[in-house]
Amino acid sequence: MTFWRPLAYLGIFVCLAAAEDKPTPEQVEFFEQKIRPVLSKNCYMCHSRQAKSARGGLVVDNRDSIRQGGESGHAVVPGKPEDSLLLKAIRYGGTTKMPPMGKLSDTVIADFEKWIAMGAPDPRAGAAPVAYAKVDFDKARQLWQFSPPKAHPAPAVKNKAWAKSPIDKFVQAKQEAAGVAPVADADRRTLIRRASFDLTGLPPSPEEVEAFVSDKSKDAFAKVVDRMLESKAYGERWGRHWLDVARYAETMGRTRNQPFPVAWRYRDYVISAFNQDMPYDRFITEQLAGDLLPAPDTAERERLTVATGFLALGAHDLNEIDARMYEMDVIDEQVAATSKSFLGLTVNCARCHDHKFDPIPTRDYYAMAGIFRSTDLKNGLRRRPPLNQLYFYPEMLMRLDGKEAWPGKPPEEVAQIEKQYSEMSAQMANYRGPRNRPEAREMAVKIGTMPLPQNLAMGVKEASKPQDCQINIRGDAHSLGDKVPRGMLQVLTTDANPAPAIGPSDSGRMQLAQWITSNQNPLTARVMMNRTWQHLFGRGIVDTPDNFGLSGSKATHPELLDYLAIRFMEQGWSVKKMVREIMLTRTYQLSSAHSDRNWESEPDNKLLWRANRRRLEAEAIRDSMLAVSGQLQAAPPESSPVYKWRRFGEPARAAGQIERWDMTQNYRSVYVPVIRNAPSRFFETFDFPEPSEPRGKRDVTTVAPQALFLMNSPLVETQARVASERLIAKTKTDEERVRRVFQQVFSRDPNKTEIDRTLKFIRDTMGSVQESSEGQKQQEAWTRLYHALFASAEFRYRS
Amino acid sequence: MTSRRDILRLSAAGFPYLALTGIAAEQARAAAKAGFENPLAPKKPHYEPKVKRVIMLFMQGAPSQHETFDYNEELVKAAGQKVEGQNQKLLAPVVEFTRHGKSGLPIANIFPHLAKHADDLCLLNAMHTNSPAHPQASIFMHTGSFTFVRPSIGSWAVYGLGTENKDLPGFVTMNPVGLGGAALYGSAFLPASYQGTAVTIAKGQSPIENIANAKLSAERQRRQIDFVQQMNRDLLAQQKVDNEIEGLIESYELAFRMQGAVPSLLDIKGEKPGTLAAYGINDNPTRDFGAQCLLARRMAEAGVRFIELNMGGWDQHAGLKARITANATAIDKPVSALIADLKERGMFNDTLLVWGGEFGRSTIEQGPGGDGRQHNNRGYSMWLAGGGIKGGMRYGSCDVSGGAVENKVHLHDLHATILHLLGLDHTRLTFRYAGRDFRLTDVHGNLVKPILS
Repeated sequence: MTFWRPLAYLGIFVCLAAAEDKPTPEQVEFFEQKIRPVLSKNCYMCHSRQAKSARGGLVVDNRDSIRQGGESGHAVVPGKPEDSLLLKAIRYGGTTKMPPMGKLSDTVIADFEKWIAMGAPDPRAGAAPVAYAKVDFDKARQLWQFSPPKAHPAPAVKNKAWAKSPIDKFVQAKQEAAGVAPVADADRRTLIRRASFDLTGLPPSPEEVEAFVSDKSKDAFAKVVDRMLESKAYGERWGRHWLDVARYAETMGRTRNQPFPVAWRYRDYVISAFNQDMPYDRFITEQLAGDLLPAPDTAERERLTVATGFLALGAHDLNEIDARMYEMDVIDEQVAATSKSFLGLTVNCARCHDHKFDPIPTRDYYAMAGIFRSTDLKNGLRRRPPLNQLYFYPEMLMRLDGKEAWPGKPPEEVAQIEKQYSEMSAQMANYRGPRNRPEAREMAVKIGTMPLPQNLAMGVKEASKPQDCQINIRGDAHSLGDKVPRGMLQVLTTDANPAPAIGPSDSGRMQLAQWITSNQNPLTARVMMNRTWQHLFGRGIVDTPDNFGLSGSKATHPELLDYLAIRFMEQGWSVKKMVREIMLTRTYQLSSAHSDRNWESEPDNKLLWRANRRRLEAEAIRDSMLAVSGQLQAAPPESSPVYKWRRFGEPARAAGQIERWDMTQNYRSVYVPVIRNAPSRFFETFDFPEPSEPRGKRDVTTVAPQALFLMNSPLVETQARVASERLIAKTKTDEERVRRVFQQVFSRDPNKTEIDRTLKFIRDTMGSVQESSEGQKQQEAWTRLYHALFASAEFRYRS
Repeated sequence: MTSRRDILRLSAAGFPYLALTGIAAEQARAAAKAGFENPLAPKKPHYEPKVKRVIMLFMQGAPSQHETFDYNEELVKAAGQKVEGQNQKLLAPVVEFTRHGKSGLPIANIFPHLAKHADDLCLLNAMHTNSPAHPQASIFMHTGSFTFVRPSIGSWAVYGLGTENKDLPGFVTMNPVGLGGAALYGSAFLPASYQGTAVTIAKGQSPIENIANAKLSAERQRRQIDFVQQMNRDLLAQQKVDNEIEGLIESYELAFRMQGAVPSLLDIKGEKPGTLAAYGINDNPTRDFGAQCLLARRMAEAGVRFIELNMGGWDQHAGLKARITANATAIDKPVSALIADLKERGMFNDTLLVWGGEFGRSTIEQGPGGDGRQHNNRGYSMWLAGGGIKGGMRYGSCDVSGGAVENKVHLHDLHATILHLLGLDHTRLTFRYAGRDFRLTDVHGNLVKPILS
């Protein structure tokens, strides 16, 4: 992996703010003799950039900071001793008495007064912690990732016979330049298995494989791809990719891991958006501002409300004592989620200081933060609620107007429930006793276990009064600087991609969505095409899919990514069309065979001289076992088990329930509830991402607990047993069975050696087992075979 | 730079303090030849370490320093008075203290056994941390942050040093407590190989997820594994070079070895009756923590790098005297036996013991009859013992308001010091994630040099 050298590039567009007032030599002398030694001796230990923490947000070791002051205000106001808090503190006049170890001598205090009166001349370099650098945006915009994608003609290639599409030519040209040659094309069985995992997350059935192998038509593979793109399983597969990016989870995580009982609506929304091939620009707009889009009917209104759940899924600390900090943490999480997922930028780095690597000043962060500050979060959870007992309040969610709150219940009963709820809520709110009392807990349990209306969703809405954000100095919500008007990132804002004006009554979310989805936004299409490429090839053209900034990886094929981005926009932001186009390239259809020659010079296969063999994700491993055993339940569940858990007791208890759920239910894995801090053990073992931040790329590890799982988990044993029962019922001879097992598990026929070896394994197993009847022995032997194959490398990898 | 996709669990050479023999050496050679990297293989520290391993005794709930390891004479004198701005009175220790050992360290009388090791303990009496709330502070104590999801200190240690036993995980936590959950032993953005393995020590429960097969004998399972390994090797031969398949093949062998190693590690039948008695395994109050302490020693012997023991129930807002006495009794004999046992086996000097909760308690009283104390993160106590540490020492003190005043040690400083004793420079132990280098101590942390021997 090659990283750019960010600091070297920083020089391109950053120049330090110029010094303003220049002190005279006499003034410098006064400062150096009378002021600096006192500051350095008495103040720097707590109030310098070297100090462990700048107390009260005050730093006095440079000119700008001492003037800017700390949380209480300006420490030094040049020419105005009486307005300077520093003077007040050293005089021991108010509540703040500095330095704390003892009052300075009157002479020294007089020196300070004199110094401030003369204009506080200060020869020290100005280096206030906020906005100290000016970004040269024009220069920054010349960098590849910050300039719009350019149309590049497909490059010329030497071997004219190889490429099937312009995409191939971009790949081939790089290969030819590096002297590597692509390996042979994949055989059909490998190809359909690859396509099936990539598009649906499931293995093809033996019948599907045979049909493809015997289809001699020219567009046989295109037909396979089209069929899979149209299957419901496609949305379940690609929707899950997006849920990784959207840090989707069904509990809050962090300290009070409270449930999100209706988060699953967003999950279902995403799956259906991918299945319908919703244009990606629309998909973004709905998630950021669905509530502000026009809706012809209530069903559409509901869908658009659910879409904004994207902004409500963040992990926050419900036990945060500081309300203002909590508010800013929520905003920060929304800034991070939005910028990483749609723009591939870590804008949140600029919360406390200008971005260290990218041209994103703190001002830009707070411009974006203002948009979310003007947005109300409706996630159903209250920070530090009365009694610290009940965190979930249905009235703090969005209501879906088209849906009945209490379907099937007579009005009297509904009235009764609602009355009871409001009475109990009031009782709880008015409770004044100690919170450890059993009756407090009881009250919370009672409310928390009441039936839940059926018309709720997570989401956001416009705040009643939009408000700009003030810069939080060093990220401290109590240390406020300039107010920044709501707006967009400057580096991506150009004449071609102007920032839409945000009206005084708008949060700015709609404008943000318009600006992100503009064809002239340099990043949006590239970032999504990179994610798509990654899912099909195992590695993105930019290997850090959530970070296109200067600290991210360098693009291996920048022109190709530009080509894809432009095609994507030209095709109406259709993900399906682009997936299809990429899968029909020769590059996608290469075999994963090894080549000594290529491997010597390019072992990482960044040049794509072969297909990457990839470990299946946790979901695909589980779903494949269920598919082979015939147990996979194709229909999705109606909601989620979390829907019933409005109130968590111990997260450990929840984990136990989840574990039973994913080990006992046969729904596709995308429907297994995602519980922060207590993920499915199986998923966790197979690198399911920790869902508190957008994670566009999963780790792939190979560790012993995975082996333990596949060796010993009852889930695997059960699927092997069920598969073997069906096999024995459906087939007659052992050789036929061996063939069938290999076709089911590996999508191919066994070779002669494998048949012999497998038959021997079956015989040996039957000879050694304790089971009484011949039938049981047989059953056990084939179970062992399925179990062994589920544990094999070939099953776990897609090649 | 090794890509995270290529991370495999294989044995490899490179640790100067371990002689590699037999299978390990052979695997190491094979690994070196093929260019594999085993993330758990022993790694060279930044400099000569003082200890090889850490045993952390986590007391969740925030134990009161005033009834355990911080005898504050000023508080005794001022007891009954009110502090400025507070309505409640200052509460003198509700239990007695006695000075012990050559060092004369004052230790609460509710720790009669541990008191015998007074000259080995380094009491940190001026700890302070960032939050007075249990979950946040627990997470902070383990990861150095409660604002973001970060790797646990045990994960950092194994990331930095690998581990010595190829049959066992490098970071083990026993009976992890509820608040904070998996975040207390999670590897966050570090590769999953570094995450802590939770071991349940309870009758009738599997200690490690899927560690045993409910149905197959080892022999029958071995036959099944042999069959699949043959297929895996065929695939590897066909692919010629494939680190991941090679890693997968090894992962089965390791898993199979773990199945054998873990039960014998946890099986304490072979321990002498005297040892079991010393740890208090046979007595109700000490049985649970005694088992954890004894297993900690066995894991230490077996080469586990970072071992965490857990005990909850220290949140004594009320009923302080009775409850803290009971808690002390539950851990006193076991911890004392652990120290003695490590010494007897010559392991005390290359082990670091860390005892403490997520914060401490107030100097003022709380609750019915004034028999309780509130949360206090401004000043509390922990103790260290073992290699590289000055024993019989009190470091730091708090004022009567409960705030640390002299020789303060922030948790970041303690983290830096723990890594230092393991031979790791906390400023150099970094991991690049989301565009920047992260470390356990973030931008903080200073070594607590005066306590180092």
